[in-house]
Amino acid sequence: MFARIALAAATAALFAMPAHAGGLMVKLIDQAGRPVPDAVITVKPSAGIPRGPIRFPWGTSIVQQGIAFNPHVLIVPVGATVAFPNKDKVRHHVYSFSKPARFELKLYGRDESHSYTFKTAGAVAIGCNIHDSMSGFIKVVDTPFAAKSAASGVASIAAIPAGPATVTVWHPRLRARGNEMTWTVPISATGDASRQATLQLR
Amino acid sequence: MDGAHLGYRRRVAPGDAAAAMMPVPLPEALLRGWSRFHPLASLSRKLTIFYAVLFGAAVALILGGARWGIERYAERIVNAEMASGSAVFDRITAMRYTQLGDASRVLASDFGFRSAVATGDAPTIASALDSLQQRLGLAQAFLVGTDGSVVGYRGTLTDRDAAALFDALDAGARRGVLRIGDTDFSAAATPVKAPVLVGWVVFANRLDAAELGSLAQLSAIDLKPSIVSAGALPAGVPLSTDADSPATERLVDGERMLAHATPIPAFGGGEAPVLLLEYSLTRALRDYAPMLWLVLAFGIIGIAVAIVGSWFLAQALTRPIKALERAARKVSAGEHAQVTVTTRDEIGTLATSFNRMVDDIAERERQIAHMAFHDDLTGLANRTLLREHLAMALARLGDDRKLALLCLDLDNFKVVNDTLGHPTGDALLCMVAERLGQVVGDGFVARLGGDEFAVVTSDDGRPLDRLAREIIQVVSSPCTVNGHRVVPGTSIGIAIARQDGDDPTDLLKNADLALYRAKQDGKGGFRFFEAAMDAEAQKRRQMELDLHDAIANGELHLMFQPLFNLGEGRVSAFEALLRWNHPVRGLVSPVDFIPLAEDTGLILPIGEWVIREACRAAMRWPDHVRVAVNVSAVQFRNPGLNAVVLQALGESGLAPQRLELEITESLFIENVEGVLASLHSLRAMGVRVALDDFGTGYSSLSYLRAFPFDKIKIDRSFIIDLMSSKGATAIIKSITTLADALGMETTAEGVENEGQLDILREQGCSQIQGFYFSKPLVEADVAALFLPGGGEMPESAQAA
Repeated sequence: MFARIALAAATAALFAMPAHAGGLMVKLIDQAGRPVPDAVITVKPSAGIPRGPIRFPWGTSIVQQGIAFNPHVLIVPVGATVAFPNKDKVRHHVYSFSKPARFELKLYGRDESHSYTFKTAGAVAIGCNIHDSMSGFIKVVDTPFAAKSAASGVASIAAIPAGPATVTVWHPRLRARGNEMTWTVPISATGDASRQATLQLR
Repeated sequence: MDGAHLGYRRRVAPGDAAAAMMPVPLPEALLRGWSRFHPLASLSRKLTIFYAVLFGAAVALILGGARWGIERYAERIVNAEMASGSAVFDRITAMRYTQLGDASRVLASDFGFRSAVATGDAPTIASALDSLQQRLGLAQAFLVGTDGSVVGYRGTLTDRDAAALFDALDAGARRGVLRIGDTDFSAAATPVKAPVLVGWVVFANRLDAAELGSLAQLSAIDLKPSIVSAGALPAGVPLSTDADSPATERLVDGERMLAHATPIPAFGGGEAPVLLLEYSLTRALRDYAPMLWLVLAFGIIGIAVAIVGSWFLAQALTRPIKALERAARKVSAGEHAQVTVTTRDEIGTLATSFNRMVDDIAERERQIAHMAFHDDLTGLANRTLLREHLAMALARLGDDRKLALLCLDLDNFKVVNDTLGHPTGDALLCMVAERLGQVVGDGFVARLGGDEFAVVTSDDGRPLDRLAREIIQVVSSPCTVNGHRVVPGTSIGIAIARQDGDDPTDLLKNADLALYRAKQDGKGGFRFFEAAMDAEAQKRRQMELDLHDAIANGELHLMFQPLFNLGEGRVSAFEALLRWNHPVRGLVSPVDFIPLAEDTGLILPIGEWVIREACRAAMRWPDHVRVAVNVSAVQFRNPGLNAVVLQALGESGLAPQRLELEITESLFIENVEGVLASLHSLRAMGVRVALDDFGTGYSSLSYLRAFPFDKIKIDRSFIIDLMSSKGATAIIKSITTLADALGMETTAEGVENEGQLDILREQGCSQIQGFYFSKPLVEADVAALFLPGGGEMPESAQAA
């Protein structure tokens, strides 16, 4: 709720708001009916994306802490530079072989930080060459209308220009090409559109 | 023994010749001819066949058992091998999968490789796979991308196979049997993550016949493994999930096949492939066949050994039995046979017993023969042997030789037996036998029974009369037997062969006749047989026959001689006298026929007739007149006498005291007690008893004292002497005095004149009997005597 209010306040403050705008709420569950967290929902209204730099209210860094990437999934806009500070006692070798961003941040120790600037939209899977169990995802988006599903499997995006919009759901384990699925959802000017979807996870 | 055996021993008797000529039905003829070859005709064959069959059965059992056991064993072994085979297969494949999986995992975790895969660097991927494929000797090493692309597959991969492969991997397939096209692989896959899944490394080895063959070699037997789909399983072979479940047996082209099918994991979904293990039980058993043949061969050898061994054993058993049988046949034929004892076992014991039995039989035969021909008391030859000896001697008798048979009879032997007892009598007979042996020397001595002996003598230079005298002399010399002094005596009758008879029967009869004459003529002498003796004997026999008929023919009658009581002066009794009036012979003297009747036993019926007749006659007489009947010793010995007397009295109604039985002293010679008892019982009936012929025989005053006779009859010999000798009167006087003293009456017999009567009256004799008073009368005359006017003392009698 707080995030929603913050989001609404931010968008209202940063952009010249169109005459009509509506919200979208998506609830995601898996085959077993469990809520699916860490899915990334992006909306591209057919009316186009408002100009201006895209900013999200969450940070742009992924911390390695407890032999894990935190957050597990991070949404950043194109052109954002993400920092990878190491807070573990061990060293990590962060890499990505994903097409949108191929990089290696070779072994670095505690309290060291490297960063990488993502110039292409897409999903970037990051791992650690030392620790196979570590995995993280950076979803580089070119739309301000993006959100990550919470533990409840629910994600909400507000102030989407009314009219039809392309809604994309991405999840690293989604059984689909590019791990994403797309809907066309009409966004009404008043009130929130809501969708519930069952994801086929790997 | 069975029929076959009897048939074997059968001989064709002469009587069977005709039957032998008859056409015999062929089977029967064959049977007869072949019976000697009948397998069970001899004990040896029986034993041999028995053991052969027994051993054969044992071999068959062993063979059957071995076969059964081997089959079960083979089945078990094959089953176990199959179970272990499929287990080994499982283990080996698991190991291979592990190897493949390990190898693929190594590759999939290689950072460079991951980098190449993630970046889609196909040439690098291919070369990495190629390098590893060569290094590990793999059939296939390829990568399937998450986008479905396949890199590094050797050969061509159809789109369908590629799609199926992707689906399987995407569905999580990691290891198992992978079928691509027609080729089976054992495959292992590892996902490649960078860090998200970017593809799968698949390493695979060909699972072809060669591979399966090499797997099969790990098993002890040739298991013939094959991979089939579950649907392609041979009919009747169930899919067993358990490696230990038993194999299924089925027939394939006449071969017994064991099959065992277990599912094996498939790479990915779809129908599970099946590992089919097959094994030919027939072939396995064929491998054991030499063993069975060996058992059979040894079994046959064993049977042969058993046949030979049991044949020898049977021979060893039957040889002594045959010897025994031959010996037994000899023995039954009368020969003396012994078998050789060779062993100390049961057969040896049997042989010993047999020999002993043969000896015992011979000994017993000898004893029996001796008993049959010898007298057991004296050991002399018996009558039978005497006859044999006589027959033989007669047959051998030449013209110039003489052969005589002497028959001996001991005098008064019965007295010895009766007075001294039989043991003494027997001892005396032995003594006599011994003496005879001494006298006769080489002559033949036999005992004919009782006190009769016989001597056969050939002409040995001793005249026969001298021999006879010598025998009498020797036998008669006094001797002591059992402590008793005995003076034996003997009489001899002599018959001479040819002259007095040509056969033993005649000789014996004639010697007996001569002996009879010798006895008659006074004992202690000898007589030669004379033809007259035979004639006399014939006459005697004829008279015997006539006497037998006399009772029935009514030829006997009684005469009655009165007894005159001197005191009463009247007739007081009649003595019944038996007369025989033979139609041809005329009147026969009692002296001639009574001894004959006594000898033949005819005296019993005659005596009975006399008593009854006498009683009947006496009934017609006055009451004071008694009738006296002579009773012979033979009658007295007969226990029926009492009954006869009772019956006679009962029938006639005569008062018992009117019957007077006259007995002679000779009665007492035998068995004094018995005689006395009989007398007392007669007396108890009320019958009177008189002692006849007193003074002639073994007169013993003790008899008079022992029994209270009613009357003593003084023998006529004393009466005849009365007139000439003074002593005679004294004897009469003493007898009457004695009788008076004992309370007995006296009767004088044979009174013929008045002088005698006077003396007798004077000497106190109570009764007289004799011609002076009356000769014997017929019954009618007796009756007339009592008619009125018959008179007390008939004139005629007084005149006579």
